[in-house]
Amino acid sequence: MNISKTFKATLAAALLTLPGAAFAEWEPDGPITLQIGFGSGGSTDTLGRAIAASMEESTGWDVIVENKPGGGGVAMFSSLVREDADGTTLGIGVTIPTLMNLATRGEKLPFKADSFDYLATIVLAPLALVAPADAPYNTVAEFVEHSKANGGSLIGFDAGPQRMIMRAVNKSADAGFEMVSHKSGAEIIQGLLGGQLQAGFGAGAHIQYLDSGDLKMLAVATQSRQGYSPDTPSFIEQGFPYSVEPYFYIAAPDGLDDEAKAALAKALDDAINSASMTELIGNIMQTTPNNLGPDGTEAKLVNGLSDISALLAASED
Amino acid sequence: MVDFSTILAGLGDAFTLTNLLFVLAGVIVGQFVGAMPGVGPVMTMAIAIPFTFVLNPLPAIGFLVGVNKGGLIGGAIPAILINTPGTPDAAATAIDGYPLTQKGKPLKAMKMALYSSVTGDTFSDLVLITIAAPLAIIALKMGPVEIFALMVFAFSLISGLIGSSVTRGIIATVLGLLLATVGLDPEHSTPRLIFGFFDLYDGFPIASVAIGSLAVSEIFLRLAKMRGEVRPAVNIPRDQTSDQKNVTFTEYWACKYVLLRGALIGTGIGAVPGMGSTAAAFMSYASTKQSAKDPESFGKGDLRGIAATESANSSVAGADFIPLLTLGLPGSASAALLISAFLIQGIQPGPLLFEQQGQLIYGLFGAMMMANLCNFTCGFFGLRLWAKLISAPESVVFSAALILCVVGVYLSTGGTFGVYVMLAFAVFGMFLNALNYPVVIFIIAFFLGPRFELSLGQTATILRGDLMNLTNHPVAILLFLMSAFCVYWLGFRDGKSKRSIEAL
Repeated sequence: MNISKTFKATLAAALLTLPGAAFAEWEPDGPITLQIGFGSGGSTDTLGRAIAASMEESTGWDVIVENKPGGGGVAMFSSLVREDADGTTLGIGVTIPTLMNLATRGEKLPFKADSFDYLATIVLAPLALVAPADAPYNTVAEFVEHSKANGGSLIGFDAGPQRMIMRAVNKSADAGFEMVSHKSGAEIIQGLLGGQLQAGFGAGAHIQYLDSGDLKMLAVATQSRQGYSPDTPSFIEQGFPYSVEPYFYIAAPDGLDDEAKAALAKALDDAINSASMTELIGNIMQTTPNNLGPDGTEAKLVNGLSDISALLAASED
Repeated sequence: MVDFSTILAGLGDAFTLTNLLFVLAGVIVGQFVGAMPGVGPVMTMAIAIPFTFVLNPLPAIGFLVGVNKGGLIGGAIPAILINTPGTPDAAATAIDGYPLTQKGKPLKAMKMALYSSVTGDTFSDLVLITIAAPLAIIALKMGPVEIFALMVFAFSLISGLIGSSVTRGIIATVLGLLLATVGLDPEHSTPRLIFGFFDLYDGFPIASVAIGSLAVSEIFLRLAKMRGEVRPAVNIPRDQTSDQKNVTFTEYWACKYVLLRGALIGTGIGAVPGMGSTAAAFMSYASTKQSAKDPESFGKGDLRGIAATESANSSVAGADFIPLLTLGLPGSASAALLISAFLIQGIQPGPLLFEQQGQLIYGLFGAMMMANLCNFTCGFFGLRLWAKLISAPESVVFSAALILCVVGVYLSTGGTFGVYVMLAFAVFGMFLNALNYPVVIFIIAFFLGPRFELSLGQTATILRGDLMNLTNHPVAILLFLMSAFCVYWLGFRDGKSKRSIEAL
């Protein structure tokens, strides 16, 4: 009895939605697998799982999350490029590590920047150069002067492009910067708080230490200023023409048909801008969702490659 | 300092039936997955975190803390019962735990592990609750140079474990370090020794190597030894007296210094981010063995061996919270997962945490206390169940364990590649065993290798290639001197006395 009632209700609902559904008829042929290019527990993983849950809720599709860690997303994208372009396999990565790999050893990778159909960006990581709050310098130029006067400085980084920016600055200003490799942003903050580093990069984790008065910002590494600290100018504004913009983004194997691409892009956009994702991104990164859409994402990847190559050239001795 | 009413309010929040049930559920899940070779608490926490989004902060964190703490005890169970440590943490537990099982006393070994684990855990929780803030400030002063010196010290302590053949021990260490260099180098991110496999960019997956060479190789060995008859995996004599099944208070109390040393080592290592519980377990085991009057009884079923390992690796768990809660810095994979759980709940672990969320933190401390109690109770009753389970025919026990290893590694490494690596390392582990090379030394070297390389690189940059700059790092110098002393007293002296005995 209950079953037949449910059936009738479903039928009625289906009939009601039919005219509206005629525009976006595309349905995935089976469950969608969302592959995460990083291990479980990191920010990419947390974002990916939340998007999957939000998509399931709003579309009724089954979305399965799989972790495929390795090489900052390269292992995942290397296998994603071989999947069928039927919209049932998507991958989440971060632009900067992907672009770095394409720029430095692109000929060895099984994919190119145009090997994918790009669907969405999720958020831009608020990358910035920070220093202990009691340091006697407040801008990149003052930091360079301080470093020259004190026989060099130690700067913490946890990804190649951060090193490249500071090396490019060092090359033009001859500041005596030494770059110290770290495993995570948290360890860089530890080094700054412990007094071992004179400056270092933060990608969001640093923000609460600004409120607590332990750290201060010297420059943002993104092209424009960041919402939580509107008074901090970018490297570009300070006369160093370099930027690094790590976007979390979603791609599918190249060759999706237009209907599928539009339906997926819409479902992802709804998920990314949902109330729960906005709250989550605010909690994790102190910022808001930032979906550039399929074309904007593609532009970030394709233009980003030439930006990274230029930065690479500027940082080389 | 947080005022007293906040503390009481926080504890009051914690001690509710709902929270108790969440903590209890976490502990049960944790003990269960810890005992499954290949699954483990870290992966379980990663899977559980998205589900905690809908819970209130305290039950959510309480559940995860329960999983974490339950896993500490669960991990020792397969190590003791079938010599297949599911995590490198428990590898040192197997050294003395498994011989006791062979003697028909698995319950006694597991009980000792349970008591030691709960003792170490409670000790470090008390340290966390009372003196976390000053300890965190000291730990913060441990920069890359000091961490590097601490790692050298850890290696020198562990060298005492090498055993009869120094040459074989060194070869195993070098093999471990060599295989740890596979993947991107920490300075310039250049891929090394990957032979075209992109899956190796981040190195061999730790889960595959640890489970393959520790657990699966043992399972293969046991399967190979099987004959046509049906035998239980472990023979427990039916007419055991109670002191063969239980740990008496005298036996427990005899280990008091061992337990205290283990808890101190674990708490110290846990408070310094970046070393991890495996190193703590081995350091505690090695120093206990070396300081004993009868080091030759270790490895043959000595309760002190179990006490040393379990108290140390469990006390890391509480101490991991010291940098986590006071500075927002994770000391281990499970602590990093807890940070993301905090973040999902809208709580920023960091310098302002005690100020802004004092009540929640004391609630969390309350939950940790409850978890310890639940751990003890569940463990006490659960151990009988595990002992029963293990008397099943070995063909069932070992094939089930093998399936669990495959599934666990498949899940945690995200595909079949990790499983192939695991099988390759299982064969590798069997070879090491057959040729009498110490597998545990290989594992600890592999495990510490990447961090060792990173700290070496950092140290070289910070010292600007000039050893004289070490004078700015007195703590590091002290640790280097202690290492030299250790190698001399533990390594050479021991080797000499053994050789002179052999010569007689």
